Amino acid sequence: MTVSSTISSTTTSAATALQLEGISRRIGARTILEDLDLTVSPGECLALLGPSGCGKSSTLRLISGLDSPDRGRILLGERDITALPPARRQVAMVFQSYALYPHLSVARNLSLGMEIRGVDAATIARDLDAVLELLQLGELRQRRPADLSGGQRQRVALARALLRRPQVFLLDEPMSNLDAQLREELRPQLRAILCGGGAPVVYVTHDQQEAMGIADRIAVLDAGRLQQCGTARELYHRPATLFVAQFIGRPQINVLQEPDGSLLAVRPEHLHAVREGGLQVRVVSREWQGASQQLQLDTARGPLRWVCDGGRSIGDAVRIAWEPQHEHRFAAGGRRLTA
Amino acid sequence: MGVVLIGPALLLLLLVFLWPMASYLWLSFHAQNLFTDLQPVPVGMLNWHRLVLDARFWQDAAQTLRFALVSVSLELGLGLAMALLLNQRWRGRGLVRSLTLLPWALPTTVMALGWRWIFNDPSGPINGVIAGLTGSTLPFLASPSLAWLAVVFADVWKTTPFVALLLLAGLQMIPADLYEALALEGGSARQALLRITLPLLRPYLLLVLLFRLAQALGVFDLIVVLTGGGPASSTESVAGYAYLNAMRFLDFGYSATVMIGMFGVLLLLGGVLLLVLRRPARA
Repeated sequence: MTVSSTISSTTTSAATALQLEGISRRIGARTILEDLDLTVSPGECLALLGPSGCGKSSTLRLISGLDSPDRGRILLGERDITALPPARRQVAMVFQSYALYPHLSVARNLSLGMEIRGVDAATIARDLDAVLELLQLGELRQRRPADLSGGQRQRVALARALLRRPQVFLLDEPMSNLDAQLREELRPQLRAILCGGGAPVVYVTHDQQEAMGIADRIAVLDAGRLQQCGTARELYHRPATLFVAQFIGRPQINVLQEPDGSLLAVRPEHLHAVREGGLQVRVVSREWQGASQQLQLDTARGPLRWVCDGGRSIGDAVRIAWEPQHEHRFAAGGRRLTA
Repeated sequence: MGVVLIGPALLLLLLVFLWPMASYLWLSFHAQNLFTDLQPVPVGMLNWHRLVLDARFWQDAAQTLRFALVSVSLELGLGLAMALLLNQRWRGRGLVRSLTLLPWALPTTVMALGWRWIFNDPSGPINGVIAGLTGSTLPFLASPSLAWLAVVFADVWKTTPFVALLLLAGLQMIPADLYEALALEGGSARQALLRITLPLLRPYLLLVLLFRLAQALGVFDLIVVLTGGGPASSTESVAGYAYLNAMRFLDFGYSATVMIGMFGVLLLLGGVLLLVLRRPARA
């Protein structure tokens, strides 16, 4: 039996889906979440993506029981857990701050929860050794959190979540305190560790690269409302709202006003130069990015962004066009129009 | 460079602390009283011999220690409870926080005069209640077994808010997400108190303990106003005895010896406390 399966064995046996039904949350007059429906299957990793203040962290707090919804239900399999206190939900959360106990060593940080739950000493010792080995924390077991690097703290927080043997994993921007390179290195590891256990994983981030890299599906939130929930491909190729179109993809999608008041959106990477026809543009500025360059264009229909690999210079006059299948059309209110 | 930077602070410390201490230590080996025309005359260990054999000094030392231990324990317990309460969210908390500080803001002499009236036998309000219930009154300030409790009571009333304030500051330094993490791990409120609050409050508790012990062992003004050290010097503190020697008997040499002797006791106590309590909780 491998180390990771030792830790995850109990989560696999009891794997159930997490379901949010019509969740609403208000604080005073402010709407935090409005009528949110989400389902996360066993073993699936769902990313909650959105700008700060969109309600993604609030959703985690509702799932964990640290906050209660004003309306709606939270289900684990068949069980309604909406009214359960956090201590009885069997939910593990990795906090953005990691929330490690500063006065305890790594080993005691990890074993405290098990002690509290009355796990017997032999099991504690066995699980502790297993998780320390899995996350390569063995040599740090006597250190205090203050003596650990950001990446090490994150691993301890993750280990603590694993030892909870949760029915749901919640992660609140677990990578935001790490540098960019470490983030990319950790993504596949984190994914392997989290999703192997069979519990649903909800991963909050504001970084679309991270969401795409780690999640099976992505739920995009804006101002407390679910904009779209789907795979990264779906969000990129068929954004349901203008917000999703603009939030997913870098550089940001071009939006052109149509005569009838609707909006036409085309991604900068889907523009190409043509000999005749198309749109007459002039290159205003450019950023060289290695494999491609990003151009700012001036056109009769307003400014555009263009990602191309050719050697264009500032001041060049070009004609550009795009394929019809790359057009996204939205109503003035932001809803998608095209099929 | 370092010496230059801490120089001003060091100078101040030498001036207001070490110099008076040194001159008191010097004075304790001299007689300076009415028989020497208030001039210091070297007498070797005479004052110290007298101190060791002085039953009143040892009685006062025991009384001062008893007062300090009992009142500081009560203040820490009540102050911790108060701080925990004031750290919760509830309506009107801000107002109550300000109100609780009032006793501490009151000058000691003023509040001691107030308590002297409240404890008055037979016309104080406490005895009014007791008389209404039992028909007799209690001589709070005239009975040796009650007077020291009255002093403790007044001191606890006055300084508990100060303890609560310091501990509240410590409580607010504890990040809320630690409690949330423990709750998600299945922890109860009691476990949160024992596993998170108290260990992380430990440095603050130690600080308050040292602060309050040092203050309580030097208690003077409260006792002078409330009981005058009586009845029969049963509430007299060491500081009060030193004051008596210097200001009533004009025996400055012996007064200095009493003070230095008490300082030695204090130093010993503080050192032991630091050794016992400063060790961090076992990891």
